[in-house]
Amino acid sequence: MQNMALALFVTLGLGLHAGAAPSNKELKIGISQEFENMNPLIMTMSATTYMYRMVGRTLVVLDADAKWVPNLAKEIPSLEKGTAKIVEVGGKKKLIANWEILENAKWGDGKPVVCEDFAFTRTVAASPNVSVGEKETFTQVEKIEWDEKTPKKCVFTYEKPKWDFYQLANFFPLPKHIEGPVWEKYGKQKEGYEKNSNYVKSPTNKGLYNGPYLVTSVRLGDHVAFEPNPNFYGEKPKIQKIIVKLISNTGTMEANLRSGTIDMISTLGFALDQALAFDKKVKSEGLPYVTHFVPSITYEHIDLLLDNPILKDLTVRKALMHSINREDLVKALFEGKQSAAQHFVSPKDPWYTTDPKFVTTYRYSKREAQKLFDEAGWKVGADGYRYKDGKKLSLTFMTTAGNKTRELVQTYLQEQWKQVGVEILIKNEPAKVFFGETTRKRKFGSMAMYAWVSSPENNPRSTLHSKSIPSEKNGWSGQNNPGWVNAGVDKAIDALDTEFDAKKRMAYAWEMQKAYTQEVPVIPLYYRSDISVVPTSLKNYRMPGHQFHETTEIEKWTF
Amino acid sequence: MLTYILRRIIQTLVVIILLSYVIFTIMALMPGDPVELMISSNPKITPEDVIRLREFYGLDQPAWKRYGNWVSTLAQGDLGYSRTYRVPVTDLLGPRLWNTFVLSMAAMVFSLVVAIPLGIMSALKPGGKLDSFLNFFSFAGISIPSFWLGIMLIIIFAVKLGWFPAGGTQTIGLEGASIWARIFDSTYFLVLPVLSLSIQGIGRFVRFTRSAMMEALRNDFIRTAKAKGLPRSAVLWKHAFRNALIPLITVVALSISSVFSGAILTETVFSYQGVGKLVFDSIIANDFNVAMVSFVISISMVLIMNLVADILYGFADPRISYS
Repeated sequence: MQNMALALFVTLGLGLHAGAAPSNKELKIGISQEFENMNPLIMTMSATTYMYRMVGRTLVVLDADAKWVPNLAKEIPSLEKGTAKIVEVGGKKKLIANWEILENAKWGDGKPVVCEDFAFTRTVAASPNVSVGEKETFTQVEKIEWDEKTPKKCVFTYEKPKWDFYQLANFFPLPKHIEGPVWEKYGKQKEGYEKNSNYVKSPTNKGLYNGPYLVTSVRLGDHVAFEPNPNFYGEKPKIQKIIVKLISNTGTMEANLRSGTIDMISTLGFALDQALAFDKKVKSEGLPYVTHFVPSITYEHIDLLLDNPILKDLTVRKALMHSINREDLVKALFEGKQSAAQHFVSPKDPWYTTDPKFVTTYRYSKREAQKLFDEAGWKVGADGYRYKDGKKLSLTFMTTAGNKTRELVQTYLQEQWKQVGVEILIKNEPAKVFFGETTRKRKFGSMAMYAWVSSPENNPRSTLHSKSIPSEKNGWSGQNNPGWVNAGVDKAIDALDTEFDAKKRMAYAWEMQKAYTQEVPVIPLYYRSDISVVPTSLKNYRMPGHQFHETTEIEKWTF
Repeated sequence: MLTYILRRIIQTLVVIILLSYVIFTIMALMPGDPVELMISSNPKITPEDVIRLREFYGLDQPAWKRYGNWVSTLAQGDLGYSRTYRVPVTDLLGPRLWNTFVLSMAAMVFSLVVAIPLGIMSALKPGGKLDSFLNFFSFAGISIPSFWLGIMLIIIFAVKLGWFPAGGTQTIGLEGASIWARIFDSTYFLVLPVLSLSIQGIGRFVRFTRSAMMEALRNDFIRTAKAKGLPRSAVLWKHAFRNALIPLITVVALSISSVFSGAILTETVFSYQGVGKLVFDSIIANDFNVAMVSFVISISMVLIMNLVADILYGFADPRISYS
């Protein structure tokens, strides 16, 4: 459908109805993903987080240069500065950090943001009556204390002395003066708080937000409107009204942009093929837009099911790597706008390395691949495919049905593997079945292609630790879907969390990359790019390419 | 008549209960649940979180028990809570049902107003120039895919001419305006989606009206009426059209039954805040409360409108009696 729309634009050669040029008076942003109620404690959708960054701030944030910087806090506590320390309580090591909230940090109604707000948030999140997704974010802070005379100087006691304590327990505070009464009234009922929270009942209440903007209108499934928060502690926002509009059909996103219904398309809008096509039109027609392609930390890969007797053999896995030309793939299919991946760590991450001492690279070589397959006992038969003990070298290749980019990649790789005698049987499923059943219960037979979203310096426990292999015993939890077991990697993962020496952490990360590329439990494909389309006149717009959206710096945007 | 209606209402309730149980069980069999969605968007969710959330949402219980819980909540007048959007279902579904109703009814009324006279004109001179012309456009209307037509309308009227908005339900920020300003604004946003939906409806209703009228005009009593020297309008409206109404009532009643089901393609193309896409998304995300309430409304509408059609037959044709 979206292609038809694009083709119609080209074939009809229609002129452009000029909408009003975007200015600091109003900016309309298009998104294609649904959003939910904006309670920061229970929100899970990307689109909600994208918008919440406009109205809410945390103690620290990862900026567009992938550096942790203070937001609501004056500075990030550290052992070196003495603002954090490891103590022993009852024979257990704990970490105590002193956080000081900015003096002028206020809620939209003018009330100050204080330690009590953070402590209240932790209490609500820890309750069994609230459906918080990632509980550990909150519960790893054992307690938050403060002196009544200095309500902005907080002492956080962390359950474990983790080096990244300041990143992990980085939650949005709730305003106790507004949400407190709701909690008192409904906190004891299951889901009582979240159903009656002001974020549901009165989402335009100014006091709910502490970011550069305030919510002025919410209509689920349609839009959210924002206006500047006069009590914001930081740089004053330049744009006087922002509307985030949901256009769920990406095929009509371009029409909405051209007709002036929206002024820009956020990172939650265009698919890559649409962006590539639109970028060409921007250049050929001289349209007043810039299409941004920014490498992100989203890692597209193929999980190899290591229980499969064929894939159990490391030589076969290495041969599969040598059979495919990933550099050519990204040039041919993505016009070089996405880059080939080496392993699970993205180039945006300080832990990323391509040092040959650690990272084994598999250059494209059909000859090398054929040699390895022969070594593994897979000989070419009369039909051009390989056989061993009368069994054909045939692998099932699964991904999400209907994802055009993935289906193109699949066909491309199928052809390359066919050239070295590997039969690839494509079996795709709707995303709901693929993620809900097939990958979760490791039923993909041989190969499953999908993406992981992570963050810089992220401990890959959930995807690489042997305890994270989903099984009936652990309720199919964990995401080590290939079923990779490597004692060295397990050890590095376990040691990583409590290692305060950055160099040692880096060494652990490199060891993991070494094992990952040597043992090939996964075929790395490419790092995805984040895409957005913005008016040429929009200034100070930076796309970070990680989980903290560009709206983290929205107060700087100007025309 | 009253006994017949009561019997049908009881049958309707039984069908609703049985179908809702079947649908609930089928949905429970689908892979994935709201917790799966959370995991896919946040790989940091721990195995402990997964177990806790499944218990919290009752997803660890058998389908029949969950169905029982849902029915008992519904019986207390609570439509439940959307796991996806994290708001009460009433808040989520209410405005969207209204929007879908307005869109579907506007499209249907417009279609009927245009199609019935055209269908009658077409039936009066079958094979004539007008009939051929109307036949061509009826088939074209029925055949055009609605998403294609929607995109064409957007390109012409929103992108090129700029007469109408490319999508949306109303101007953002108009919430405080007068009722007339809001009605006018909503109408402005409705023009393209209604047009897109109506083209198909007009084609379909023209064909039905033409065929029903032609059938009625072939009857002996029409010849008798003409022989009696009755005026042409009396023959046409009192005798022919009234008899052509029975098949039309069936088609219109069944069409009305879908006014709350949503026009998913049209709503999606025009970013119209209706119930169609919401229901689709809630099924995909196993958002039981939203999906089940929508199903019950759809099933009820089909059954009720069938009952209404049966009752209307009696008024249109005195030979039909339920006593």
